[in-house]
Amino acid sequence: MKKTWQTIIHGPWAYWVGAIILGMLNLLVLIVRHQPWGVTQNIEHWAEWIGTNLGVLDDQGFTFMGLMTSSGTYLNLGLLMGAFWATLVASQARFRPIRDRKFFLSALIGGLLMGYGARIAYGCNVGALLNGIASSSLTGWIFAIAVFIGTWLGSKFLVKYLL
Amino acid sequence: MGTNAFHSQQKWNLGFIVFLTLLLVLLAQISTNLTLIFVLGISLGFVLQKSRFCLVSALRDPILIGMTELTRAFLLLLGISILGFALVSWGASQRNIPLILNVFPLGVHTVVGGLLFGIGMVLAGGCSTGILMRIGEGFAMQGVAFFGLVVGAVLGERSLITWRNLFGEWSGIFLPDLLGWVPTLILEIAVLVTLWQLAKWWQKKQLGE
Repeated sequence: MKKTWQTIIHGPWAYWVGAIILGMLNLLVLIVRHQPWGVTQNIEHWAEWIGTNLGVLDDQGFTFMGLMTSSGTYLNLGLLMGAFWATLVASQARFRPIRDRKFFLSALIGGLLMGYGARIAYGCNVGALLNGIASSSLTGWIFAIAVFIGTWLGSKFLVKYLL
Repeated sequence: MGTNAFHSQQKWNLGFIVFLTLLLVLLAQISTNLTLIFVLGISLGFVLQKSRFCLVSALRDPILIGMTELTRAFLLLLGISILGFALVSWGASQRNIPLILNVFPLGVHTVVGGLLFGIGMVLAGGCSTGILMRIGEGFAMQGVAFFGLVVGAVLGERSLITWRNLFGEWSGIFLPDLLGWVPTLILEIAVLVTLWQLAKWWQKKQLGE
């Protein structure tokens, strides 16, 4: 019993346990939100608002109150806080610095490619892949194949230049 | 995780729980719906971290190290989601509740976007969800990736119109409209089972277990 509790608190949980609970949560989001779980669109909306306020962008479509009452904001904020809390309950919370300058560059370029790709394909791994397929949309399956090929190309690059 | 001296963070944990509770109580004054969504978001982050769920690993590890355990768990998540979404959308239509599903338009940019997204997430060490999770875990690298993601997303959103004008786009195909509900679900689950077997065979071939 104590050992089970230890595993629950400290992890890691088995992948299949994660899959089942995440599946249930994904359904609950659909039920409560009347729309599937998604990540990047809300991030993009915040970026438009912040950019416009800083004078870098010009998009008057978003207001602070509008964003603060948008469900996507609470999903993303919750995701971040939930992950932080998960490390804290196990006394594993700490700052993890970048070990090498090349990883700084790869993170920056990777993030750029990912953000661009997600927005021209209407979503990321969650909104377009997982929930595209879950919505029985043909686009979801095609996006998944493209992401898989992209991952394969990226891995080749990673092995050749970064590791 | 790798620290030798074990420092208990239980006081901080308690403080954080109080903080989260206060946030939830405050939010509940404004909207019950948003409060529920926030609870679900926190749960998603918690479970993702505890189970080390990551789609980059699920797609990359078969290629890099031949492991497909997480790949198969992801197929399970897809299966649960497909059947669950079908059930929820059926229930919603019975009660006339409006429900939006993610049936997106299809175009050249779907494929280009997927390719760029795949390459990007390997370089960044996490997809957009994984990045948020790892920022929560305290990784500085994903903080940098997040900055890139934000800039990239803004650029992507603004160039979408160009992609549409250049190559056009078809409206998304909702498979049940084309094949009917039952054949669609049978077909999709059959594909997942096949991929599962393939992943199992691949790991055996690569690692010989």
